[in-house]
Amino acid sequence: MKTDALIAALAADTTPRPSPGARMVRVLPLAVALSLTALLTGWHVRADLASALGSVAVYKTAVPLALALSALWLARGLARPEARAGREWALIGVLMAGLALALAWGLAVTPVPRIAEILDTPDYANCLISVPVLAALPLAGALWALRAGATLHPATSGAAAGLIAGGAAAAIYSLHCPHDHLMYFFPAYGVAMAGVTLAGALLGARLLRW
Amino acid sequence: MRPSESLSWEALMHAANRGDQRAYARLLGEIAPVVRGIVRARGGALGAEGCEDVVQEVLLTIHLKRQTWREDAPLRPWLYAVTRHKVIDALRARGTRVEIPVEEMAEILPAAEGVDPFEAHDMERVLGQLDPRAAQILRAIGIDGDSTAETGAKLGMTEGAVRVALHRALKAVARLRERMIE
Repeated sequence: MKTDALIAALAADTTPRPSPGARMVRVLPLAVALSLTALLTGWHVRADLASALGSVAVYKTAVPLALALSALWLARGLARPEARAGREWALIGVLMAGLALALAWGLAVTPVPRIAEILDTPDYANCLISVPVLAALPLAGALWALRAGATLHPATSGAAAGLIAGGAAAAIYSLHCPHDHLMYFFPAYGVAMAGVTLAGALLGARLLRW
Repeated sequence: MRPSESLSWEALMHAANRGDQRAYARLLGEIAPVVRGIVRARGGALGAEGCEDVVQEVLLTIHLKRQTWREDAPLRPWLYAVTRHKVIDALRARGTRVEIPVEEMAEILPAAEGVDPFEAHDMERVLGQLDPRAAQILRAIGIDGDSTAETGAKLGMTEGAVRVALHRALKAVARLRERMIE
């Protein structure tokens, strides 16, 4: 087939292709709603949810949510092959720097035996399992949406998809979890989100090539 | 540079995104020599036909990824990024490793149109692997120059069904080519 013939065939194909952003809008709210429903039915929300969300403990919900939204922004930027996504990276960088400072401060003011005591609960393992479980659907949705993109960095885009999913799942799980200490947040929520991000990177490296 | 009635690539793609087939055909026709120039500059060892296979692969990718161009951005940086990615990928799959510095993309001259038929091989093999109806539709529209309506009349399908089949056929072609060179 000659190139002119191919061009004629391509031009006749006017079926619009969905953009990654359009697919995100279609699939992510649904995936997150399903994960939220799963938490409300399979787990239970913490007894003091209302007062927790009105206190400083709301950070356990807000920080993962902020990470998820900034990862969403980054993923959308990376899906364009010519874009550098500089501002998106800067926002992620600021958030990560803030978290690193918080972690350093938490380690400085909390003695190690106290951290061990905080983590000595079956809820810890529960968190490390629950967050990835709740992240599975959003991760599948985000990767599917990004397959409509044209990223030059499949693993990085996959990691962003992982952070979208991990952040959303951690925010959802926080409605259940009664442990509010910063030194619980990092080993539990932080590690769980990092795990989902890593899974996203590994999957993205395969699924987001084009 | 170009005749005064010529439209910018952005305007053509903008119209194409709204279903203007003539604008889109014209845009792809103008893009093809640019892509061909880049492929020949880097993959000359593949020979004319081998190069044209890569050109067609790039055009197919441009088509299937066109939604990742943002309409308020210039088209060329996007086009160069897609082309560069796909050319490097296609040449690597054929055993040639190339580097294309981004800043050189715009400096490579478009290939001159000649009597060269721009026949490529891979596409024939792919058409052979496609289901017969899909191949028939691609040939009718591409080679015979039929419209989707004419193709539908010829094959006893509605125009809408031809459109859907054409879209699926092009996606299948991209998938088959990917598998063929791996």
